[in-house]
Amino acid sequence: MSSAVRWLAVAAVAIGLVAFPYWSAAWESSRFATTVLRDMLVFAIFALSLDILVGHAGLPSLGHAAFFGGGAYAAGIASQRLGTDQLPVTLGAAVLVAGVLALVIGMLVVRSEGIFFLMLTLALAQIVFAIAFQWTAVTGGSNGLAGVSRPTLMGTDLSAPDRMYVLVALTFLGVCLLVWSLMRSPYGRALTGVRENERRMRALGYDTARLKLSAFVVAGMIAGVAGALSAYSQRFVSPGDAGIGTSVQAFVMVLIGGAGTILGPVLGAGVVMYIQRVLSSAIPVSETVLGLVFIVFVLLAREGIVGLGRAAYARARAR
Amino acid sequence: MSPELLFQQALNGLSFGALLFILAAGLSLVFGMMDVVNLAHGAFYMLGAYVALSVVQLTGSFWLALVAAPIALGALGLLLEPLLLRRLRGRHLDQVLLTIGVSLVIVDQIGLLWGREVRSLPFPPGLDGSVALIGGVYPVYRLFVIVFGIALAAAIAVIYRRTKLGMLIRAGVEDAEMLGALGVNTDRLFAITFAVGAALAGLAGVIAAPVFGLQPGMDVDALLYSLVVVVVGGLGTLGGAVAGSVLVGPVDTFGKVLFQEFALAVIFAIVALVLLFKPTGLLGRIRIAR
Repeated sequence: MSSAVRWLAVAAVAIGLVAFPYWSAAWESSRFATTVLRDMLVFAIFALSLDILVGHAGLPSLGHAAFFGGGAYAAGIASQRLGTDQLPVTLGAAVLVAGVLALVIGMLVVRSEGIFFLMLTLALAQIVFAIAFQWTAVTGGSNGLAGVSRPTLMGTDLSAPDRMYVLVALTFLGVCLLVWSLMRSPYGRALTGVRENERRMRALGYDTARLKLSAFVVAGMIAGVAGALSAYSQRFVSPGDAGIGTSVQAFVMVLIGGAGTILGPVLGAGVVMYIQRVLSSAIPVSETVLGLVFIVFVLLAREGIVGLGRAAYARARAR
Repeated sequence: MSPELLFQQALNGLSFGALLFILAAGLSLVFGMMDVVNLAHGAFYMLGAYVALSVVQLTGSFWLALVAAPIALGALGLLLEPLLLRRLRGRHLDQVLLTIGVSLVIVDQIGLLWGREVRSLPFPPGLDGSVALIGGVYPVYRLFVIVFGIALAAAIAVIYRRTKLGMLIRAGVEDAEMLGALGVNTDRLFAITFAVGAALAGLAGVIAAPVFGLQPGMDVDALLYSLVVVVVGGLGTLGGAVAGSVLVGPVDTFGKVLFQEFALAVIFAIVALVLLFKPTGLLGRIRIAR
C-alpha cells in the first residue's frame, strides 16, 4: 500500500468513527452502540496513555488509575465548586491535577524498575483511591460524585449524547496523533532506548531518570483527560475509578491488544469493554472470561492481538 | 489518650501486626525463592476465608476450618505453579502478570459461589469472650492472634534452620539456579514453595475472618497491606516480614485512632521514607530502588 492510500484509509476510518451516531441513526440499537463505543474510546485513550509507560518506556505501571480517577474527580469537583461547565476550565483542572499527582508519585517510583516498579505504583496509587474513598467532604466518599455536568465549549452545549460522543471521538483521534508523533520523535526514540538498555542510555549522556519521570507525567496527564471524559460521559465519578480494578483493566487492555503500538491498546480496550459491557449481560462470569483471556495472552501471545496479526501477515507473505 | 486506651490500642496494633505477618510471610517466601510477587496473594487470602466459612457452616468447627482452608489453598497452589508459572520460568514480570489473571478469576468465582454480600464468621467457642486487662476488658481472640503469629514465626524459623526443606529453601533464596545445578529438583521445590505461600495466605484469611468479616474487596486490602509490609521490612527474608509487620501493624492502628480519615497517608509516608533512605527495606538484601 502506498503511503497516500494508507493516509486516505486512516482519514476515512477517522471520519467514519467521529460520525458514527449520525450514520448509524437508523439502527435499532444505535443509541446503545454509541454509548458502548463512547466508553470504549474513553478507555482507549486511557490505555494509550498507559502504553506510553508499559510499551514504549518499559515501565509496568499498575497504578495508572490514580491519574484517571484524579482527572475525573478534578473535572467533577471543578465544575461543581466553580459552578462552571466550560470545557477548558474543567478539562484543564483534570490535566493539572493528574499531572501533579503523576509528578509526586513518579518522583518516588522512577528509581525502581520491573517488578518493583509495578509493586510501588500499585501501592502508591492506592493512596489516591483511599483519599477519594475517605475524604467525604470533598469527593463524596464511597457514594462517589454524582451529577457531574456535561461541558460546553465556546457556547456550544455538548450535553446531548451525540455531541458528547463526538467530543470523545475527536479527543481520541487527537490523543492517537499525539502519542504517534511523540513516539516517532527523538524523545520517543530515547524512551525506547531506556526500555531496551537503560545503562547504555546513561552512558550516552541521557538523564534517564528525568526521561522516565517526564514520560510518567505525560502519561498521567493523558490519563487525566480520559478520566475527565469518563466523568462527563457518566455524569458520575466513583472512587473505583481511581482503584486497582481500573488500573488492572487498563493493563489488561494494553497487554491483550499489544504493547508498544497505537492499534494495540485501542483494540484491547475494545475487547475488554466488549466482554465487560456486552458479554456480561449474556453470561454472569465476564470477569472470569477476562481473567482467562488475559492468562492465555500472557502465556501464549505476549505480543497481543497486534502481534498475532503481524505473525499471520508474515506467514501469508512467506507462502 | 488515657493509659488504658493506649495499652488497648498497642495490643490491637500488635494483633494486627501478627495477622500481617501470617499474610506477608507467604508473599515474602514466594518472592525470595521464585522472584515472583504473587498478586493473587490477596485472592488466596480471600478464598481461604470463604472456604473456612463453608467448613464452619458444614461442621461447626473453626479449628477444622483452620486446618482445611490452608490445605485447600496449598493444593490450589500446587496445581497452579506447574500449570501456569512454570511455563514462563525466568520471565519474572510475565509470571507476575499471570497472577493478575489468576486473581481476577478467583475473585469472580468467589462472588459467584458465595455471593457478594458481607458475611461474618463467628469467633471460635472459648475465644469469644473478653478478659480483664489493666483497667479494661480485652477480647481474647485478639490475644490468640498475637500468640498464634508469634508461634508461627517461631515454627517457620525452626523449619528454616533445622530441617532439610528449610535448608533447601534458604539455598534456593540464595541462588535457585545453582541449587538446580547441584542436582536438586527445583521444579518440585518451586511448586512446594508456591503451595506453602498460598497455604499461608489461606491461613491468614481464616484467622482474619472473625475480626474483619468477609466481603468483596478484602482481597485488595490484604494484597496492599502485605505489599507494604514486605517493602518496608525487606523482600524475601523472614526477618523482613517480621520487622515489617511489627512496624506496620501498630502504626496503622494508631494512625486510624489519631488521624482517622488519613490513616493510609501515614502508611504512605513510611513507604516513601523507606524508599528514599533504605531502599532495601529495613532488613532486606534486595534493593528495590536506586
